[in-house]
Amino acid sequence: MPLVEPGPTGLKTETEAVAAIGHGNPGQKRRLGLTFWLSAGWIFTLVFLALFRDILPIRDPDELGIRTREVAKFESPGWNAFFGGDGQGRDMFARAVQGARPALILGLTVTIIGGILGSAVGVTSGYLRGKVDTVTTILIDIALAFPGLVLLISVRATFGNSMFVFIVLFSLTSIPGYARIVRGASFALSERDFVDAAEAMGATKRRIILRELAPNIALPVLSFAFIGFALVIVAEGGLAFIGLSLDQITWGKLIADGAGDIDKHAHVALLPATVMFLTILAFNLVGDSMRALYSPREVATQRRLRVGPMANTGGGDEVLYIDDLFTALHTPNGDVHAVDGVSLSLKAGEALGVVGESGSGKTMILRSIVGAFALADVTRTGTVEVAGVDMLRAEPADIKRTLGTQIGMVSQNPLTALNPVRLIEHQITEPMLVHTAMSKSEARARALELMQQVGIPAPERRLREYPHQLSGGMRQRVTIAIALANEPALLLADEPTTALDVTVQDQILRLLSELQRDRKMAMVLVTHDLAVVKGFTDRVAIVYGGEVIESGPTEQIFNNPRHRYTVALIQSMPNLDLPSHCELTTIEGTPPSLISPPRGCRFAARCPAAQDICNTTPPSADEASEHWFRCHFPAGDDAKGNA
Amino acid sequence: MLIFVQRLGRLIFVFFVVTFVTFFLLDQAPGDPAERFAGLNATPEVIEGIRAELGLNGSLLERYLRWLGNAVRFDFGDSIVTRGFSSWDLIRESLPKTLELMVLAEIMAIGIAVPLALASARRPGSFIDKASSSTAFGLLALPAFVLGIYMSFIFGVKLGWFPTIVDNLPGLNDDPLDNLRQMFLPSLTLALNLVAVYLRLLRSDLIETLQEDYVMLAQARGLSERRIMWRHVLRPSSLNFTTAVGLNIAGLIGGAFIIEVLFAINGMGRLVIQSVILEDFNVVAAVVAILTVAYVMMNFLVDVLYSILDPRIRHATR
Repeated sequence: MPLVEPGPTGLKTETEAVAAIGHGNPGQKRRLGLTFWLSAGWIFTLVFLALFRDILPIRDPDELGIRTREVAKFESPGWNAFFGGDGQGRDMFARAVQGARPALILGLTVTIIGGILGSAVGVTSGYLRGKVDTVTTILIDIALAFPGLVLLISVRATFGNSMFVFIVLFSLTSIPGYARIVRGASFALSERDFVDAAEAMGATKRRIILRELAPNIALPVLSFAFIGFALVIVAEGGLAFIGLSLDQITWGKLIADGAGDIDKHAHVALLPATVMFLTILAFNLVGDSMRALYSPREVATQRRLRVGPMANTGGGDEVLYIDDLFTALHTPNGDVHAVDGVSLSLKAGEALGVVGESGSGKTMILRSIVGAFALADVTRTGTVEVAGVDMLRAEPADIKRTLGTQIGMVSQNPLTALNPVRLIEHQITEPMLVHTAMSKSEARARALELMQQVGIPAPERRLREYPHQLSGGMRQRVTIAIALANEPALLLADEPTTALDVTVQDQILRLLSELQRDRKMAMVLVTHDLAVVKGFTDRVAIVYGGEVIESGPTEQIFNNPRHRYTVALIQSMPNLDLPSHCELTTIEGTPPSLISPPRGCRFAARCPAAQDICNTTPPSADEASEHWFRCHFPAGDDAKGNA
Repeated sequence: MLIFVQRLGRLIFVFFVVTFVTFFLLDQAPGDPAERFAGLNATPEVIEGIRAELGLNGSLLERYLRWLGNAVRFDFGDSIVTRGFSSWDLIRESLPKTLELMVLAEIMAIGIAVPLALASARRPGSFIDKASSSTAFGLLALPAFVLGIYMSFIFGVKLGWFPTIVDNLPGLNDDPLDNLRQMFLPSLTLALNLVAVYLRLLRSDLIETLQEDYVMLAQARGLSERRIMWRHVLRPSSLNFTTAVGLNIAGLIGGAFIIEVLFAINGMGRLVIQSVILEDFNVVAAVVAILTVAYVMMNFLVDVLYSILDPRIRHATR
């Protein structure tokens, strides 16, 4: 119903309720804040005054001041009458308290009746699904589409203005709102494991609804109920304001009566209006605080890119020069040291593989080069230079130009790397149009050329399509084409094949490698898969816990791995040369926390060769040498990988 | 295209249900319009004649279908109270004002909400974000008539910038300046409630989009922040927002009625309220029909807009 529909949470209520159930974090303790208690206090005071009006020293709301001479006509608010008097000398405070009664009675009964009936409809529809759900959804849609005020007006004209009529009418109109929220929540819940488990154990549908679904839906419904309560007060007020409400004193009526005197005696309308505002606000705040109890916490951090002191600058011909780079993400749980003292450099035509598990910080190295961290609050220290430009401290315009003309980036998931609502053509030509002097038609011609180079058939047609019309492999080719648009010197590829079908993976890798060699680009290929770097890179850096723990020419890393982690990685690779009965080893344990990394060697906890020193002293390394590693007890020639 | 046909079908269904239910409810009202129309001293024959003349004879369904058939030709019957005027005359007089109020409010709401949401979302937790979020929360607790009282007190009584009552509203074509000056407070009041809903919705969708890969990649391509926000982030984030605009049209109609009463605008709201009080049910039914058609059309437009915004929907086979 329009009157009951545009709730404080708007359309989001349903999605939020669902999201909450999806990602609720029971471990995190949530508390109700000061605003909650203030609001609860206001509601309590209101209930108290409304209940005990007759016992408390409050005047008769209908007593005319003209007769008793207690309150003057349009008396200003003061000690005699807190809210002053109206045009007939009636005590506005007494009238406001009297008006709280119908508001609370109506709000409470409607919320209970509408809430229970609506929840019942919603849970049945959301859990049983099928035809029941289709019909219910259509009915809810129609109910929500009704021009509600008009309906209320016609019903009111037909059935009169007693409290009973209003309770029935408002209860009926509030059902769709509750039903929609509960339906969404049950729909999401019924896909969860514990419901499946109950079903598997042969619980009846009725039992599942009452025992499994109801307790989980209770909090979202209760929090919406407070907001719904406020909506009832608003709806009644609206009707009262246009002269169609209850046959007794209500806030809406008081405001409507005072509205005519707004220019001379504003208090008559303003004070009841404020009481009403505060009451609605209080109910909304209580509902919102309760929602915060089960909703996932919002991103509270502010986007900030901070830059710390600089390390050394590059010598000259490196396309990419990273020295002693530290990247920390400031989160509510503490600082995440995602990149912890990393140094890398790359010359034109060189390909570097960066290998590590998920959570090792390898992607963050790439992000630190381009400085794109979504909404996170990040500090970077050290040096990142691309083609001689300091990517941390140069003028923003220079950084942007370098990003646009020197760097091309290919990300992990082609399904999310392209903007779903923009044409392929616009996405490819944009970097050219923004960063070069190319005209639209030139950029388009170049886009066509690029599409051909990355092996997209029928490029003319593809340019005029949207990402969802292309397959995953084709989309990755498009992102590569975009990356190549301005002939970058540096190609950053973040797990470019992970999200693709196995059959397509090799094609994409070969394409990247060919392009890299033909154009003499420097390439950083980030992956969790050692096999990927084998044929396509000149050098490899193994990343663990935010650090590079071993680095060297690709051949040497495979033939002579020194760090125990590298050895384990190589042993976990499937190898077709070995007899088929050979077992693949896995690495036990989990990577270290990047919030409080271990004091000594980061791999110590999972290392088969670890000794006491490994837990206390971080191993040092001579990073100047061609092949180096951070390990106290490196694997010798005897412990070479079986590769 | 099929999806449009389906949506249109559903909306037409809504039209029939709403008009029929209203027709039915009005029929339940006590009192006989024919008797009232005929006056106190009319003979039963005269009343019967008037009944036929007003189209009040026959079963409910018969009368509904007859009414519907006439309604298609904009013939909603005579106003029973204001004799000599047809319902359509009264509506034609009041409709433009209500429409103007709603359109102005919607423009203001979108004009305020979108830039605010963009500014809030790009720096969540910043001063502008916190300030606009709390203001939005406060606005949600202000029903149109309470907000309207505040607005006329502050801008009308205290500051004296705008009239608190719309008086003798000139046409938008005749004297646009005076027209807009008079309509400013009513439209802004109606808009501010929408701003709150739109702002919250759009802000959270923008924040979601800002974390998408394609936004990160756009940043990595050295595009300016303004370009990223307007070209890359806003459109994919505006889908829920568009739905909300559609859903809120029904609420906007209700809100417009209250604003009309508060600012004394002779629009559809005041017309229908008066007609209900005077039991001029031909006019009530006519207003409901017109509003429902308007509602259906606007929702259909929103659907079309939605599919322009999201190509995935345009190409959906279903």
